[in-house]
Amino acid sequence: MIADEASMAQMMAASQKGDRAMYRALLIEVQLWLERYFRKRVAPAQLDDLVQEVLLAVHAKRATWDPTRAFYPWLAAIARYRWIDHLRKVYRSAEDELGDHDAAEDSEEEAVMARMSLERLFVHLPDKQAEVIELVKIEGLTISEASAKTGQSESLVKVNIHRGLKKLSALVEKAE
Amino acid sequence: MTMTRVPNSLIDDLADDLAPVEPIRLSHGIALVALSAVATVILVELLDGLWRGIVSGQASGVFFIVNGMLGMVGAASALAVLRMARPRVGNTHEGARWSSAMLFLLPLTALAVLGVGGMTTALFDDPYGAGCFLAGAAFGLVTAAALVLWLRRGAPVSLNAAGTYTGIAAGAIGSFAFGLACPIDTIGHLGIWHVAPVALMALAGRFAIPPLVRW
Repeated sequence: MIADEASMAQMMAASQKGDRAMYRALLIEVQLWLERYFRKRVAPAQLDDLVQEVLLAVHAKRATWDPTRAFYPWLAAIARYRWIDHLRKVYRSAEDELGDHDAAEDSEEEAVMARMSLERLFVHLPDKQAEVIELVKIEGLTISEASAKTGQSESLVKVNIHRGLKKLSALVEKAE
Repeated sequence: MTMTRVPNSLIDDLADDLAPVEPIRLSHGIALVALSAVATVILVELLDGLWRGIVSGQASGVFFIVNGMLGMVGAASALAVLRMARPRVGNTHEGARWSSAMLFLLPLTALAVLGVGGMTTALFDDPYGAGCFLAGAAFGLVTAAALVLWLRRGAPVSLNAAGTYTGIAAGAIGSFAFGLACPIDTIGHLGIWHVAPVALMALAGRFAIPPLVRW
């Protein structure tokens, strides 16, 4: 059962003061809430990434919640913002996939081309971020496989993917 | 169905990384904007010199109405931007929207009072018009910088609106401040050349600011 507004506000207020136990409990509730919130609005395979992105956003922007106001409207605003960001990314990758349907399945050349076009954007990323995005988002490795291959912890792989995609997304936006 | 898709290690990492934070206070933002407005007026006094006629009774009623409206639009828009830094589903910015719309009354009044001929003269034969326009916009950069810093600290989720209202607030406060140095107090001058910086900065803010405050 997901916690009510009053409990969430109480936990968030404690979290802003640095209470880690409360924060951990809060994040678990937030995770459950987000999974329900997004369940029918993103592809099941992409749910993890999106929930994780929102959790990172909640963490980074926790000072922007006003303790005198409700918690869920704040969380929902952040969740919507990230969701829209996510849709942009999904839209672009869907376009790439459509193109691939016309080509021979698993065409080596197509894969190389896709990588080439992303390579140009990767110039703007730190190597660690570019490396894990390439492994996970292009080659399709799991987080743990990418973690084993790069020596980065699983959390770091996720954080680096998140940060890298954010930068890439900003670059794409700028081009528009 | 149990939903535990995100590995708890991420939650543990975030919890371990937790440090106390001071919630962003609206009052701090208001103080920041007020300080930038005061700094802008001081800058105008240092660079151009405020018009002494304001206190010696030489200024017209239009002078006080136009500059008063610019000040109010600046305050309402700045407040909207300050609130945008703390996102919330249900946030609205009606005050800023209506007060900005109200500003269009000024060029409309100029048109009604001067007619098309007088308006054309005010537009093309005002030797000080372009100077006031550019100065108003330039002095607005102080407020724009303060609001952008505030938005970067916060979590704006309506980036285009945040950019536009930042531009409106900056243009209005800049034009208000420079207006205190301008002794031309006719509706033909003030209603056009002192309102135009707001439109320019709104447009500039709409396109220039979102990339600066995206997160």
